[in-house]
Amino acid sequence: MTNFIGFTTLIEREMYRFMRLFNQTVVPPLVTTVLYILIFGYSLGSRIHEIHGFSYIVYILPGLIQMSVINNAYANSSTSLFMSRLERSIENMLVAPLNYFYMVTSIMVGGLVRGMVVGLAVYLGSLPFVHYPMAHPVIIIFTLVLTSILFSGLGILSGLWAETWDKIAVITNFVITPFVYLGGVFYSIQMLPPFWQKVSHGNPIFYCIDLMRYGFLGVADTSPVMGLTTLAVLAFGVYGFCVYLFKKGFKIMR
Amino acid sequence: MLALKVNAAQKNYETLEALKKVNLEVEEGEFFGLLGPNGAGKTTLIHSIVGLCRLNSGTISVFGNDVFKNPLPAHQAIGFSPQDMNLDRFFTIYRILFYQAGFFGVARKKRKDIVEKLLHDFGLTEKASVPYYRLSGGMQKRLLIAKALVSSPKLLILDEPTAGVDVEQRHHLWEYLRKLNREGTTIILTTHYIDEAESLCSRIGIINLGEIKEMGSPQGLINKYCEKKVWIKTSRPLVYQQWAKPHFSIDREGDMLVGRGPNAGAMTEFFIQKMKEQPDTQVLDLHVERGTLEDVFLKLVGKKL
Repeated sequence: MTNFIGFTTLIEREMYRFMRLFNQTVVPPLVTTVLYILIFGYSLGSRIHEIHGFSYIVYILPGLIQMSVINNAYANSSTSLFMSRLERSIENMLVAPLNYFYMVTSIMVGGLVRGMVVGLAVYLGSLPFVHYPMAHPVIIIFTLVLTSILFSGLGILSGLWAETWDKIAVITNFVITPFVYLGGVFYSIQMLPPFWQKVSHGNPIFYCIDLMRYGFLGVADTSPVMGLTTLAVLAFGVYGFCVYLFKKGFKIMR
Repeated sequence: MLALKVNAAQKNYETLEALKKVNLEVEEGEFFGLLGPNGAGKTTLIHSIVGLCRLNSGTISVFGNDVFKNPLPAHQAIGFSPQDMNLDRFFTIYRILFYQAGFFGVARKKRKDIVEKLLHDFGLTEKASVPYYRLSGGMQKRLLIAKALVSSPKLLILDEPTAGVDVEQRHHLWEYLRKLNREGTTIILTTHYIDEAESLCSRIGIINLGEIKEMGSPQGLINKYCEKKVWIKTSRPLVYQQWAKPHFSIDREGDMLVGRGPNAGAMTEFFIQKMKEQPDTQVLDLHVERGTLEDVFLKLVGKKL
């Protein structure tokens, strides 16, 4: 039994949820990025050497875009799912003729679209301040999609697991944010001692940022093929795990 | 055809047995009531039917579709109004209904008409653009029922639909439900109002401690479990102790005689016969107590609903 209308309605609802809060979802990361550009581009940036032949602000911008994408994809899914568990509005999905694949995909698409919209907004918002190349647009698109799927999926896992808002914040503050900052947004991992370079390869966010940098600037700290493969395996692995947990009724059924 | 078949449904919450091998059948077109005290297992049973709860063992089918093995056609047939609010606070009530109809596969154009009709039928048209938490308690309950109806379900399950609804609205809602039932919708209702169950339901199940204790029509249950009483007050005391022993008990309570037994008609007939034998005594009062569903409940469960 295919309920395509149900599926598109789920997606429409997820979109509406974040679009109606545009000022809370899309505008803040744009403001943050402009502040980064002003600080690192005009204030501190001139005192920092070029990296891989690019000025510091140009070098870090792909990472700043990814930082917004990661945070927003994660926040959208975790908040949407946690709220609907808290208010029990998730029951309205569970009693409907919708399969678990639709449910997970719709929440994920909400995170994916929010991540992409924010990523695009940050990119467009940065253009008046900084000019930078776009070496591999297809890689940029693949990276954006896979990153959004991965972090949207992690947001779903967090939204399923958390019992309180505190736990959602714990994951954001103590897992996502440190991993983002240690993933090479503000530096090339080649600047690190060999041991920490190896450790950085264990951080999935490193691949998100490195691939995006490769997409825009054409320079990378690791092989783009390896980066894309790792990201794809992680993204679809997390996706599959989310569907499995929904199917098991983990914390959504009694 | 059976609208619902529950077969040996068992559900445990850690050490608590919420459902103990429950069996239940509801025919298509029936108006079935489920009565039970708090914690009896009503909501667990209903949640298992609608897909919010997984059984430890047993099966449930809705119009022949197993709700666990083949859930989508089963869910398509059910409209569910829960006991508590389960709505999204970000959306207006129009949007809540609109999306819910979409979840059930109702096409966009048709959805608009259905939602507008339901808003009208439940007196919510003027509130269409506000979020649910701005509605009164009674309106919120009506919204939950409207939400259950967006897909024109064949089986409507209402978990305490009139709790907190004022008397006038309650009767309005009863009429609406009767009309739906007449038009062919099978309805399963849980309620804390005995009069509601007695007035609406063609059959009732009484559940307690995870077991269905008894099932039957309201009158059938009253006949089965309630002793009838015939009270008679006469101008002169009747010396009933000298009467040939009838098939029921007779006692004096105050200035009245009371006969207790299963057949009110036979007892009344007996008293009238006795009065004919004593022409100098007149009947001042005679009334019959047939028992209520509440008495049945009290007898089976041991406490009031």
